[in-house]
Amino acid sequence: MSNKKLLQKTTGSFLIFAVITLLIAAPLFYFISQRLYIHETDEVLQFHKGAFVKEIHADFTEKDIKSWHKYNHNIMIFADMGVNKDSIVDKMLFDSIANDKEPFRVLYAPVDINGKRYTYTEKINLVEMEGMVINVAVIFLFMIIMLLIGIIGISKITAAKIWKPFYNTLIQIEDFEIDKSNPPLFIPTDIDEFDRLNKSLERLIEKNTVIYKNQREFVENAAHELQTPLALFQTKIDTLLQLELNKEQLSVVSSLNNDVSRLNRLNKNLLLLSKIDNERYLGKSTIILNDYIERHLDFFTEQAEAKNLRIITEFTSTLTIKGNPALSEVLINNLFLNAIRHNEKNGKIIIRTQDNQLTFLNTGQSAPLAIEKLFNRFSKINPSSQGNGLGLAIIKKIVEINQWEIKYTFENQLHSFSVKF
Amino acid sequence: MKILIIEDEQEIAQSIKNYFKTNGIHCETAENYAVALIKIENYDYDCILLDLMLPDGDGFDILRELKNKNKSEGVIIISAKETLDTRIEGFNLGADDFLTKPFHLSELLVRMQALIRRKNFQGNNSIIFNEINVDILSKTVIVNNQKLDLTKKEIDLLLFLIGNHNKVLSKGAIAEHLSGDMADMLDNHDFIYAHIKNLKKKLHAAGSGDYIKTIYGLGYKWENE
Repeated sequence: MSNKKLLQKTTGSFLIFAVITLLIAAPLFYFISQRLYIHETDEVLQFHKGAFVKEIHADFTEKDIKSWHKYNHNIMIFADMGVNKDSIVDKMLFDSIANDKEPFRVLYAPVDINGKRYTYTEKINLVEMEGMVINVAVIFLFMIIMLLIGIIGISKITAAKIWKPFYNTLIQIEDFEIDKSNPPLFIPTDIDEFDRLNKSLERLIEKNTVIYKNQREFVENAAHELQTPLALFQTKIDTLLQLELNKEQLSVVSSLNNDVSRLNRLNKNLLLLSKIDNERYLGKSTIILNDYIERHLDFFTEQAEAKNLRIITEFTSTLTIKGNPALSEVLINNLFLNAIRHNEKNGKIIIRTQDNQLTFLNTGQSAPLAIEKLFNRFSKINPSSQGNGLGLAIIKKIVEINQWEIKYTFENQLHSFSVKF
Repeated sequence: MKILIIEDEQEIAQSIKNYFKTNGIHCETAENYAVALIKIENYDYDCILLDLMLPDGDGFDILRELKNKNKSEGVIIISAKETLDTRIEGFNLGADDFLTKPFHLSELLVRMQALIRRKNFQGNNSIIFNEINVDILSKTVIVNNQKLDLTKKEIDLLLFLIGNHNKVLSKGAIAEHLSGDMADMLDNHDFIYAHIKNLKKKLHAAGSGDYIKTIYGLGYKWENE
């Protein structure tokens, strides 16, 4: 559905009304003026006839009738045509001046001259009427159009003035983002409804911002608070490890140990995510990604050894970005570890830098990943994997706050994650 | 060797105390700010482990107090609240190291040993375990007067093991020690196996004893035969 603007809608109904009025009024006007004109013409015809009858002389002879015809083309006297009473008809007659057939109004009336019955006829050309009616119609139309333009224009100007605070509020709301700390500033208005709208919006935003902040801080605080019990857990397991344990006890402690480190990792990742949310990483500097990757290649090669992966670097250009150093490193580490974690034995990883793009390609499962949930928190691609489902969410978050772009594709049996800076 | 643990979580303090005891380190504890102040006023320690969040005060104030009194104890901050700012403030106030909770006791132990070594440094900075001599500054390892060709990681691993001798070290603790900040993201610690294997081989080739014991499914232990 195509949405209309508010002002279009109000002036729109004006326009529709105007068009309908014109459509009805124009033929009606034409019809009525034509009738009026004909009526006037008929009265003139009757008047002429009355005058003729009154002024006719008793000595009006056949000869006079002939000479009358010589000078009169419109009023003619004929021998009785059998007309008993006055009748007026429309007729198309040949007009010698126009050299064409034209509409005429013709009166037939019986007159008695010298006791002899004649038929009196008079014709009046209606072409004049056509012209006049059209002229009047044009003036009429012009006036109506002027009136409408005036009405629409004035209503548009006043409406624009009246709705201005509304549009201002609308723009403010459109620009508002709850995770950015710039509450909208509404322009004060003397229109009660808009004032109420602004006030309720302000209240709504304030309330939700507080809730949102609390929620965000809650995650960070919760993760922080978990650190202490986790520390207790960890130190106790470290203590437990030192006891003389039999094989069965060892295996229980061993799995406990894995659990606590998993919890630990999860908590640290949650903490990282909420710290990014809470804008704890704002400082930016220039980072040369190629250098960072080169520096840590040994570490990742070591991690990749268990799967016997081949790591290939294709650095076609030096990639220099502007970002928070800590987060940029987390981004690359996560991409790298992701490529290792979801790889297959004897697979490979290709790291490619282009103009403003970093791409990690890796072998792995032979079908593309479901893209919709890929970057959601806790959506694990492979449920049996050791990952906690936060790696890609963290990647996404870092990309988002820097206004970079991340894209996943699957081509030639290679999973590809590329970040555009 | 005597250290002070300023920590309101008594159980953590107790675990540290127990873990360190067998390595010849005597620990005293202070569970709040007031007790801590009295103790640092009256005694000298080799090292202080400091929790920043205390029920009756701020750990940073203890650092200020130490500075005012011109005390030279090494301080390791152990805190759950880790941000870049608290780290920087801690170091500015004279802390020597920062360890975020949760941590491995083994990590705390080697960091403390390293700190004390740095503080007490008198020209000779080496660790000797039987026939093994590790020079910390030059990063060289000599066994039976024969210099070993070890990688940086292997020396690091050796120091970690010797520092925690007679302690069972989980693979996770070793991995975290070796990979530092990256450890938080690792979900697989198998890579340390290769390092252990290489270190064992090199020590053995130089005629050193077989001190590294494998604890099945769990980790390793450095033990005097």
